[in-house]
Amino acid sequence: MSRTRLSRWLIAVPMALLAVATIYPLLFTANVAMKTRREYILDRFSLTGTLHWENLTTAWNSAGMARYFLNSLIVVTCAVALLLLIGSMAGFALGQLRFRGSSALFLVCLAALFIPFQVIMVPLARIMADGGLIDTYPGLVLAYVAQFLPFTVFLMTSYYRAVPPEIIDAARIDGNTSYGVYRRIMLPIGAPALLSVGILNALFCWNDVLISLLMMPSADHRTLMVGVTSLRGQYSDDIPTFAAGVLIAAVPVLVIYLFLQRQIADGVTAGATKG
Amino acid sequence: MPGGRRAERLAPYVLVAPAVLIIVVLRLWPLLLGVNFSFTGDGARNGIAVGLDNYRELLDDPLFRTALRNVGLLVLLLPVAVAIPGLLATFIYFRVPGHRLFRGVYFFPAVLSPVIVGAIFNLLLAFDGPANAVLGGLGIGPIDWLGDPDVAIFAVVGVHVWATFGMGLVVFLAGFATLDSALVDAARVDGASLAQTIWHVIVPGLSRTIQFVFVTTMIGLLTSMFGLLYIMTSGGPEGSTYLPEYYIWIQQGQMNRPALASAASTALFLIMLVVGLLQVSLLRRAGRED
Repeated sequence: MSRTRLSRWLIAVPMALLAVATIYPLLFTANVAMKTRREYILDRFSLTGTLHWENLTTAWNSAGMARYFLNSLIVVTCAVALLLLIGSMAGFALGQLRFRGSSALFLVCLAALFIPFQVIMVPLARIMADGGLIDTYPGLVLAYVAQFLPFTVFLMTSYYRAVPPEIIDAARIDGNTSYGVYRRIMLPIGAPALLSVGILNALFCWNDVLISLLMMPSADHRTLMVGVTSLRGQYSDDIPTFAAGVLIAAVPVLVIYLFLQRQIADGVTAGATKG
Repeated sequence: MPGGRRAERLAPYVLVAPAVLIIVVLRLWPLLLGVNFSFTGDGARNGIAVGLDNYRELLDDPLFRTALRNVGLLVLLLPVAVAIPGLLATFIYFRVPGHRLFRGVYFFPAVLSPVIVGAIFNLLLAFDGPANAVLGGLGIGPIDWLGDPDVAIFAVVGVHVWATFGMGLVVFLAGFATLDSALVDAARVDGASLAQTIWHVIVPGLSRTIQFVFVTTMIGLLTSMFGLLYIMTSGGPEGSTYLPEYYIWIQQGQMNRPALASAASTALFLIMLVVGLLQVSLLRRAGRED
């Protein structure tokens, strides 16, 4: 018994080192973000003596991070709201209602799951351009909805499929139409799944750079992640301000992670166990 | 109320209509459009059928050939990218001291944007950055991580694996939750070593999970490294870090060659299809032999 306990500790040492290696890059960046340019050039590793919060305000104000942040917030909020609405409607119909063609329609959604964005981005850009949607908020929102809808429909369908049909029958006897069942029963019952899928979609959209680059090319429409890439050229000789910008972009995700780690992991693994 | 009954019969279609409409118009239709597009010309030959010209040009383009070679490299590295989270998940399952903390820490980079990860590693892997300082302390000469054409692709792939192994880890842990722990305990009581337990009990017990992680990790390697490439190397040095997705972006966004980009897209789709099917059949066969 003591032998296995010892071996457990022996394994824990490299795992702890790996944990340090996982967290160190972030701490290094946070530390750099709090230094002056001079301090950084003289010694990039030492812990900063005084915290130079002004780097954050510089990145926020003069580098335009505030604008990028707002753009991301608008687009992600709209995209996630639409994804949840459209995805839960389809999930309810495909998971619970019996109608002709339902399995064919589910297959259509499932097939789209295996088409990466890179494979369709050229024709998609053309379709969006024909619709006058390039460089507009609705265009980017629509592109995100299209990208993450198959996954959302798939998860909501498998979630709603597990709801006992008796609940729906009872609601119908009470005089509810299908729309009433969706609004009064399925939406509240689906809340845990909607939370999980919603957070995951919010992360996907917030973290995206390729779709945003393609759909929102002009400078004042940049989302936050595209903004970070432009920051690099802009502040190549002022690394602390650059690091501050990176930190600002990482903080919302860090906060979400600290509070909702469980839901994120649930969303990731739901695809694995139900697939 | 015949009208009400008709509305009720139509209700399922009304509920799925928005989803199906968006998916068909903005996902499936572009796929067909893109394949069709790849057989037409660019610029002056816009819209004119050119047969396989774009595909011939792709195979002659050194940048696309590098992208293909790098795909081969990714496929070779795939088992490593799956084994790392698998092994770590096994240790966490055996409750090494601190396993809860490890799980939380390891998973975190997986939720960060590739752009943020790439930006951070730009600082760490700079020629005069911390990575080389640590190596210098060990007496190993500085490595030009992102400037040496022979090294850069490994640096970028390494960063991708660092950033995403947490995803595989969480999926493996979910798989472990379905594993019959009595089997593992029995093997341990019978005196099986850790390696024997992994090979004879855990691998067969988790074959479905392993399959899933293989496929999703491959999709990740082939389609979610754009952000890293964009901010870390821009495909350089000397085009050595090109991947098909970056090539598509350059041809579409910078070179104004949408038809050529479509051919590259179609090629990427075929590669993923072939690699995916090969994997599934290989893993199935391996599973049957056990």
